[in-house]
Amino acid sequence: MLFDPAQVYQPEADTFLLLKAAQAEVRAGDRVLEIGTGSGTVAAGLPPAHEIIATDINPHAVACARQKGVSVVRTDLFCGIQGTFDLILFNPPYLPTEPEERIDDWLEYALDGGTSGRVVIERFLAGAGPLLAPEGRILLLISSLTGLDPVMRLISRYGFAAGIMLDEVVEDEMLYILRITRAV
Amino acid sequence: MKRSLMDILCCPVCKGDLALQVEKEDEKEVLEGKLHCAACNVDYPIHEGIPDLLPRTAQ
Repeated sequence: MLFDPAQVYQPEADTFLLLKAAQAEVRAGDRVLEIGTGSGTVAAGLPPAHEIIATDINPHAVACARQKGVSVVRTDLFCGIQGTFDLILFNPPYLPTEPEERIDDWLEYALDGGTSGRVVIERFLAGAGPLLAPEGRILLLISSLTGLDPVMRLISRYGFAAGIMLDEVVEDEMLYILRITRAV
Repeated sequence: MKRSLMDILCCPVCKGDLALQVEKEDEKEVLEGKLHCAACNVDYPIHEGIPDLLPRTAQ
């Protein structure tokens, strides 16, 4: 499909931070699911020996990811996906966005985290449990703009435990990679 | 999409299994076709190798 690159979130510092974390985290034989793959940069940057499936809701993004050789499904988060995965990756829309700030295009899905910045993250955490293998890991990227403490509270509320795996200052925000597992 | 992907795809609405109907396929993967949910009586398209599992609101 011809896709419009202007409608696909292009790789930025957050993309490369998640890629770095995922490359360090992935193990031989892991079944990997990336939610909201966007351009497909993270999924395409993992060692090819791993089974990797990616999703995005944006038709331009799935076409872009497919061109990179990513096995991609168009769906909302993981709505059309079943089974369990050893490693789930998600760089969510994390920017607090007021209704009047919304721009009605496909990029909005990559950026808009609702008024709190945590609306999509909460939906993800509420539904991720059945897809995570018993010893599985989730790598979730968030920003200081999203709020580290409120996200940590959401993680606990949905039965997970998390630690900060990586962080990086980017201009006036701090990016974090949270490594999430089932709470024991 | 590769045929092996069928194991992890489900109906986004009822989470039931889907039946694959192939219209065009090459040696590697399904390029065009449909994924049918019998419970919802809905077809989800596969176009240019990409399954589209968004709810079909307009049908």
